[in-house]
Amino acid sequence: MVTAHSTSRIGLLTGHSLAALMRERTVALLACLFLILVIVSAYLGWSATSTVNAIYLRSAEHISAQGQTIPPNPVLDTSPLALLRNMATYVSLIGALAAIVIGHQLMAAERKAGTMPLLGSRPMRPADLGIAKSLALIVAIAALVIFAALINTATFLALPEFRLDAVGWLKLTAFYGTSGLYLLVFGFLGLWFGASAKSETVGLLIPVTIWLTLTFVLPQITSNINPVAALNPVSALAEPPASAFFQVTGWALGSFSLAEAYRIISAQLLDFLPANYIDRAVIPAAASLFAAVLGVGGLAARAIACMDMTKGDYDA
Amino acid sequence: MSTFVVQTSHLTKRYGDHSAVNDLSLNVEQGEVFGFLGHNGAGKTTTIHMLTTLLQPTSGTALVCGKSITTESLEARRHIGYVPENVRLYDTMSARSNLRFFARLSGVEDPDRRIDETLEFLDCRELAPRLVGSFSKGLRQRIGLAQAILHRPDVLFLDEPTSALDPMGIKTLRDLIVRLNREFRTTIFMNTHLISEISQTCTSIGVLNQGELVFRDTIEKVTARYGSESSLEDLYLSVTPVQTQGAA
Repeated sequence: MVTAHSTSRIGLLTGHSLAALMRERTVALLACLFLILVIVSAYLGWSATSTVNAIYLRSAEHISAQGQTIPPNPVLDTSPLALLRNMATYVSLIGALAAIVIGHQLMAAERKAGTMPLLGSRPMRPADLGIAKSLALIVAIAALVIFAALINTATFLALPEFRLDAVGWLKLTAFYGTSGLYLLVFGFLGLWFGASAKSETVGLLIPVTIWLTLTFVLPQITSNINPVAALNPVSALAEPPASAFFQVTGWALGSFSLAEAYRIISAQLLDFLPANYIDRAVIPAAASLFAAVLGVGGLAARAIACMDMTKGDYDA
Repeated sequence: MSTFVVQTSHLTKRYGDHSAVNDLSLNVEQGEVFGFLGHNGAGKTTTIHMLTTLLQPTSGTALVCGKSITTESLEARRHIGYVPENVRLYDTMSARSNLRFFARLSGVEDPDRRIDETLEFLDCRELAPRLVGSFSKGLRQRIGLAQAILHRPDVLFLDEPTSALDPMGIKTLRDLIVRLNREFRTTIFMNTHLISEISQTCTSIGVLNQGELVFRDTIEKVTARYGSESSLEDLYLSVTPVQTQGAA
């Protein structure tokens, strides 16, 4: 049963964890890198679109002066949301890595401080620490996603050619929600191994290896997407060869290929999914993502609740 | 009503085939300063870990202030203060911030007033604004003691409190433990392997050898029966024969 005292302790632990997180330089560095890439992505989208639009307007003026029919503006041919397709790549690369480090540091900082025995002898339930760390992770990732969303919203407002309708804004919101869930999977991975690994290095290496496998190895096996193609938001959605091998691997492993699931959802929401694209995974992409968040989140909470509270440090 | 603050019955902790604590039945009365003596590896720290609810026993029962350490661990923790052997705090925070955090976690109302009172009692109010990372072991131990008594626990568990302290630090800490017991009527359960600590600080003694309680009495009776501190040392060595022979 969650009591008022328990709630206030969870709030206290969450705030304390976030304050400790903000003092970690590695976390600050990766978060800044992610946000800089979001700003660069927004600038490139704005700059490229403005340039093409300016060229079109000048050409249209020239063509009009010659009395010829003006062709349609190519900028308006594509969905304005597709401007943000690079965001999906940044989220699955630097964003996921930042999430791992955030999750890992939330536990590693506590373990390195050596205060677990002092926390464990306080009147709090075993689950309270896990809930507090998970909440701190959710707040930190939400902050990253909200900042990215604000930058991209500003980009849209700075491009008067693009007017998002209500559905467009809803899709954009859903994209950031999906991105937040995707980052949470990796944040929970960091939290899980930050709590259960015997050493700090192993606690970071295991989730990074899982991230590399999900981002680069699985897509190659299930859809023949090589690592370089995986960095490109459009080529990462290319149709795999129609061979029996990819039919089988796509069907059997596609549900576990989380990076692909995220790209498919992002492409659907940002209107750049190729019209003929068929997801061959047994479990739909959205269901895979939800299952991963719940599954890894549960494992992280269990790992924290089962921690050896007698140990003050990794080596103690 | 029982005045026992700590009651254990057949308390056992096994790691595979090895028994760290074996069939420990022990009572500690309210207001006692109990010294738990034993060689390194005798099972003293494991016992404290179980009594502070940090470790689940393999079998047996234990009550702290009448609350079971297994089925009422949350309630038991409200009565407990704990100072580990190597006190670790948040180095990048000031002593006051550390204490405020632990006070709020223990449910102390008006934490800042309580912190001031506690630091005043421990005669180290000037440490409050300083970063804990800059503290010597002695100062760290004192803030460690402060965090353990902020909520005025009924029983304070100290694990080798004077290890790694210089003679001055040892004396200061011993005086504080005695004052704490007298002024707040806090029961002290103290692990040690130092005979001098027992004779100068404790009111009762228990000797643990290879996980088993081999001796239990009050210091008053022990002193009356055996005399001086050196005789206490002889008593200790006589009740812990296995390791003594091994060491010889």
